[in-house]
Amino acid sequence: MQELGKAELNSTRIIRQDDNRVVIEKDLDTEYMVLSMGPQHPSTHGVLRLECITDGEVVVEAEPYLGYLHRCFEKYCEKVDYPGIVPYTDRMDYLAGMNTEMAYCMAVEKMLDIEIPRRVEFIRVIVSELNRIASHLVAIGTYGIDLGAFTPFLFCFRDREHILNLLEWISGARMLYNYIWIGGLSYDVPADFKKRLSEFVTYFKPKTVELQKLLTENEIFVKRTKGIGIMPADVAINYGWSGPMLRGSGVDWDLRRNDPYSVYPELDFKVALPDPKFCDIGDCLARHVVRAIEMEESLKIIEQCLDMMPGVDGFNSRVAIPKKVRPKAGEVYSRAENPRGEVGFYIVSDGKSTKPLRCKARSSCFVNLSAMKDLSRGQLIPDLVAIIGSIDIVLGEVDR
Amino acid sequence: MSEYFSNIKIGATTIATGMAITFRHFLNAVKRKGDAGIDDADYFKQVDGLCTLQYPREVVPTPTIGRYRLYNDIEDCIGCCQCERACPVECITIETIKTTADDLAACGKTSGGQQKRFWVPVFDIDVAKCMTCGICVSVCPTDCLVHSPVADFSEFDVKNMMYHYGNLSKIEAEAKKRKLDEEKAAKEKAAAEAIARGEAPAAKPKPAPGPMPEGGQAGE
Amino acid sequence: MSQSISLNTWSDALSGFNLGWFPLGLVIVAAVPLVFIALYALTYGVYGERKISAFMQDRLGPMEVGPWGLLQTLADILKLLQKEDIVPTAADKFLFVIGPLIMFVGSFLAFVVLPFGPAFIGADLNVGLFYAVGIVALEVVGILASGWGSNNKWALYGAVRSVAQIVSYEIPASIALLCGAMMAGTLSMQQFCVAQSGPYGFMHYYLFSNPIAWLPFLIYFIASLAETNRAPFDIPEAESELVAGFFTEYSGMKFAMFFLAEYGSMFMVSGIISIVFLGGWASPLPNIGSFALNTMTSGPAWGAFWIIMKGFFFIFVQMWLRWTLPRLRVDQLMYLCWKVLTPFAFVAFVLTAVWEIYK
Repeated sequence: MQELGKAELNSTRIIRQDDNRVVIEKDLDTEYMVLSMGPQHPSTHGVLRLECITDGEVVVEAEPYLGYLHRCFEKYCEKVDYPGIVPYTDRMDYLAGMNTEMAYCMAVEKMLDIEIPRRVEFIRVIVSELNRIASHLVAIGTYGIDLGAFTPFLFCFRDREHILNLLEWISGARMLYNYIWIGGLSYDVPADFKKRLSEFVTYFKPKTVELQKLLTENEIFVKRTKGIGIMPADVAINYGWSGPMLRGSGVDWDLRRNDPYSVYPELDFKVALPDPKFCDIGDCLARHVVRAIEMEESLKIIEQCLDMMPGVDGFNSRVAIPKKVRPKAGEVYSRAENPRGEVGFYIVSDGKSTKPLRCKARSSCFVNLSAMKDLSRGQLIPDLVAIIGSIDIVLGEVDR
Repeated sequence: MSEYFSNIKIGATTIATGMAITFRHFLNAVKRKGDAGIDDADYFKQVDGLCTLQYPREVVPTPTIGRYRLYNDIEDCIGCCQCERACPVECITIETIKTTADDLAACGKTSGGQQKRFWVPVFDIDVAKCMTCGICVSVCPTDCLVHSPVADFSEFDVKNMMYHYGNLSKIEAEAKKRKLDEEKAAKEKAAAEAIARGEAPAAKPKPAPGPMPEGGQAGE
Repeated sequence: MSQSISLNTWSDALSGFNLGWFPLGLVIVAAVPLVFIALYALTYGVYGERKISAFMQDRLGPMEVGPWGLLQTLADILKLLQKEDIVPTAADKFLFVIGPLIMFVGSFLAFVVLPFGPAFIGADLNVGLFYAVGIVALEVVGILASGWGSNNKWALYGAVRSVAQIVSYEIPASIALLCGAMMAGTLSMQQFCVAQSGPYGFMHYYLFSNPIAWLPFLIYFIASLAETNRAPFDIPEAESELVAGFFTEYSGMKFAMFFLAEYGSMFMVSGIISIVFLGGWASPLPNIGSFALNTMTSGPAWGAFWIIMKGFFFIFVQMWLRWTLPRLRVDQLMYLCWKVLTPFAFVAFVLTAVWEIYK
């Protein structure tokens, strides 16, 4: 018997039995109220709708309703040729376009079996790590807003702006890059890029410290997130969680290390894990802290890549790009570590067409969000907001 | 009990730290970051201070590589329709009319010196649909189709987002079409006559000229 | 009292002035705080808050309307005036309309006992502090009326939260103020200021002259944040949780009423705290030898200046806190009130009593 939540506030007890059944005991005869949270709600991060059954401030159950941003990505892929899908993958997880592009391109490259120049691999890692920082900045900033702290949000966006400028300088676009192409990159990095990027790293390091002092270590913030929405490691694995969510539950799992791709095996970085002294393993604070640590690790990766990057400026990044993408008949699944977890593409080719027969995207947010019902049981409404924020959903990826 | 007091102490100190940070930013508000672009050497010089700009008057410069408004230089366009085929969102509409033999000089050459063999009466780009992915630019054989770094091209009427780049007016296009039909008819007639005379059939009209790598993001 | 201060001369003279049967003087006395609230809320309240928050967040803030965006609030008010006054069909119309009015009246009535300098006060009640504490709590009625009358689930949540919060925080706030009343031996707002004025300026303030006063001062400041629904205690309107809390359904001028009421009570609690612990209109500058800085900066006009500046300072601190801290949860709010502030308030009460007996 395990009691969930602080439901004793209005003498309601939500008790999970050993067989995972949930029993609600009440001293008072109270009525449930159905509260529709979203699709237009400040803290649902887009167009998610949560149908909450509430007993006073206590959420008895919250069920997410999806599909408000459904754009038929998978069906559309069957209509567009392989290179034309890349801009659509940008629009899946629009906060981490580079990472998704990379995952998709790796899948097609696996089918085509082509060799990628080393410099291209390094640039790919740099841009996707930059995008990981940008994405985590949004996650941390909006999490602050969810909990009522506005200032960290704007600090995060100020720094994200620099990253977006850098990426625009490389790729020509701020968010929807179409930079990583099948077999290469659309352009090589600009001449001064290395210098500017190392300047960014030196600029950004003190800012992370400031952010930590302002938000992560703030006692109110800690009190709001510590011990809230605890997800045990085994349940997290059963739900198929990945990324910072899974690491927040204390599972040492990172695709960059456990299923290495690109040049990650050559790089020295630490898989971010929460510190049990500072937070409870698996709670909202743990997930937040994992994101904060990952930003610093990404900075480290970028620094190493800058040192190790071979080749010269003016390198033709399109040398390995195939003239025509027509893979042999077969199927492939390729996955990569996105800021939100494992993003994977399962592609079936019939060997004749330049369009995939089937393209299935494994979205990390969608899987992470599926645990919402379990996490929300017996929480207060403010805690529900904290839990949604800690899952860090991007509805573009959830609905696709 | 000691936890109670230590909680109060931690709360007070962390709140004070946070307030010190925001106050430092408040004092730094006399400085402004300015509108240095990312390719300026002193982009990261200003670390503190206000970082927003007053948009219409102060603009963050877009780098020259910036992919924003799609622009077609019709003088260089050979009407190969590759961009139309490559576009994932089908925002480009092209109609072409083959030039007649006597019009080749009037049709002119591209800046690269390539003979143009098609009139392009309709070259419409619906920039409202365009998602600035840049695939059309990558397949363009004459580099006449480019994304310009002009980022702000908002309109009050969505119809104005349809950009027309065609190099012939409707009446001209009609005339060219008629001319082509006449030429075709004359050729067919000649061919029929030739067949009637028992000669080999004349060669069919050539396919579209110019380098035509097949679909996909062609490398340079 | 080292100085002879003639209290309430201006307001007494004004209230005696009648135009025929019409008590014009009284109307002017009433209009002064009203005009003050409106002006201050327009300038320092909304514009100042937007600018201060912007500067703390590395932004520019409003810049477009007028130089440095000075007329931005005026434009906003014009916009709010022109907006359609929407009353939801399912709303309880009477409560919906009366809610913002009660809130504004509650916040405005408290200004009766707020002295604008030694010479001007609406009514120098001998129970001024008691009256102020009581009348500020009238806002709860307005919040509950608007929250219930909106017939909106978010508004209802906001209203219920707000009632629980404000009623709870009355207790530590009142006890902390009682400490101040014990030190002064009066409840009259003017007498508070008189008791804390003297040739040594700020040395006469209770916060500096009394070794215990910082405790009730802090307790009242924290509790006053909660009473005015300011961050980190803004759970009744918590926008990331309850959309906009109890005023979710309001638009146009009714919405502006909530704003005015909020800024009015912000100034009121800042005024109370500066009167009880920081001498109100008494000048903080000391007389240094023969250089009579204190005497020079005392007087009716200077008094008004000092009390408004002190109020503005505390409002600045309130804004500063708001743009720094995350929001507390409901149960943490109650924990802070009942398990931290109330016990400490009682401790402060006893200590003040002991100090007052044996000093």
